[in-house]
Amino acid sequence: MSEKIKLYDASKCTACRGCQLACKQWNALKAGQTEHKGTYQNPPTLQPNTYMIIHFQDYVAPEGDVRWLFRKEACMHCTKAACVTVCPSGALYYNKEFKTVGMDREKCIGCKECVSACPFEVPRYDKETEKVYKCDMCETRITNNMNPACVKACPTGALKWLDKDEALKIAEGRVQQLGGDANVYGDKFVGGTHLMYVLKEKMDVYDGIKKDPKVPQSIFVWKNLLKPLSLLAAGGVIGAELIHYMIRGPHKPHPEHYEEAKKQGGA
Amino acid sequence: MKKQIVVVTSGYERFVHWLMAISCLLLCYTGLGMMYKELNFFGAIFGGLKGLKTVHDICAVFFAVGLLLAIQMWWKEAGVFVFPEDWEWIKAGGDYLWHVDHVPETGKYNPGQKMFFLTVALCGLLMICTGFFMWFPHYLPANLMDWVYVLHVLGFVVIFAFFFVHLYLGTIGNPGSVSAMFSGKMELPVLRMLHPKWVKEMEHEGKLMIVEDKK
Ligand code: HEM
Ligand code: SF4
Ligand code: SF4
Ligand code: SF4
Repeated sequence: MSEKIKLYDASKCTACRGCQLACKQWNALKAGQTEHKGTYQNPPTLQPNTYMIIHFQDYVAPEGDVRWLFRKEACMHCTKAACVTVCPSGALYYNKEFKTVGMDREKCIGCKECVSACPFEVPRYDKETEKVYKCDMCETRITNNMNPACVKACPTGALKWLDKDEALKIAEGRVQQLGGDANVYGDKFVGGTHLMYVLKEKMDVYDGIKKDPKVPQSIFVWKNLLKPLSLLAAGGVIGAELIHYMIRGPHKPHPEHYEEAKKQGGA
Repeated sequence: MKKQIVVVTSGYERFVHWLMAISCLLLCYTGLGMMYKELNFFGAIFGGLKGLKTVHDICAVFFAVGLLLAIQMWWKEAGVFVFPEDWEWIKAGGDYLWHVDHVPETGKYNPGQKMFFLTVALCGLLMICTGFFMWFPHYLPANLMDWVYVLHVLGFVVIFAFFFVHLYLGTIGNPGSVSAMFSGKMELPVLRMLHPKWVKEMEHEGKLMIVEDKK
């Protein structure tokens, strides 16, 4: 088994939302009541009980025509996943076979560190369970040689679960075929993602898409500098004290401190 | 030589000290248990890492209360440097680093103690502010929030290192001082060494409470 990628080809997506439903069904996620806001996009955002949504967008092209754009939003399964780096409990981890980012909810302590760290704003915290929720690429399915539920449900072939090399080749081929502004999204940042898009339009056109997602710099300072420094500094202090104790010894009152009348210095 | 024992702290002072100290220690312990995956097992005594996090959350509240009371109580005596006497003391290394025959006298707390107090007060406030936003990360814009975590850990670096300084100087580094935080009493010579000016003031005002006279 090797590194795999879920490829979403926006040009083939009809926004039937079969994938969204399949995701809910496989993960036994309840539906929530929402309000109609003049769009088919529903629910409006990811939620603790919604690991993926299809975005609906009316786009007026420079040419003047109106285009209906669709985009699947879910955990991108970063190669360099900020969420895995910050997670204190090991609840978030890399799947060894596929390099996707799995989640062991038992372990999650609800610290929300991943919520702040994720450059795609994916993990959602649930007040009720005090845990975080996100797509785990149907880990129990993929490790048993099945496709993720959304891929299985997709009637148009817009979603595919493929070996990485093959996925990249297909994506490139598709971009050539589509021509114009078509492009691949996901291969160029955070070490490459394991959910990749083929987009018909320029990336900037899509609402809510992350244009320059990065693992925050602060995480490097936090995990690679300050974290080891905390133990080093404390160790240094203890070492210095040992030396002080041996060379200078404990601080004892001077003779003058024992005498009532005499001038008394401090120390 | 006579060993006179003097009352140096009130029960309230000791209560505030231990409220802050115990909660701070637990915060360090639980914080370490989260920062290092290798130390996740620290959570075992709280029934798992989730319990450890809950203890961190609860201690945070106790710590915040303790710190505010401590600042209110000690600010005047330990929060402001008095020049030039404090500067003289610093130049003399306070008798800690090399031998000084007559150490410059300072107020109730010497500059070393003041620096410790100020570090705890400022880093403590930093921990409370950053910790608060870590409870509610959506109150701040994401790119600001990223640095809140860094500040929380930076505060930890300082507090954790200073804890060991405090522990050393409060116990074996200054024999006879630790009783101030247990029984609330200290031997007069040690007190004269650590707080010379204060002793004089109390003697002058007739407030020095000598409880025992051992020959
Ligand atoms: C002496 C005071 C404190 C120390 C030494 C301390 C230390 C730490 C450390 C080392 C971490 C782990 C960071 C990491 O994962 O790398 C942490 C996490 C955290 N701290 Fe503190 N902390 C203190 C006070 C506070 C206070 C006052 C609050 C709240 C008002 C707070 C809230 C948090 C939160 C929310 C986290 C994230 C994990 C969790 O939810 O428990 N901390 N702290
Ligand atoms: S998209 Fe966010 S939650 Fe998903 S792997 Fe990347 S950092 Fe983690
Ligand atoms: S909220 Fe849960 S999954 Fe996210 S970083 Fe904390 S422990 Fe890990
Ligand atoms: S199932 Fe396929 S066609 Fe339907 S919305 Fe999902 S990706 Fe698009």
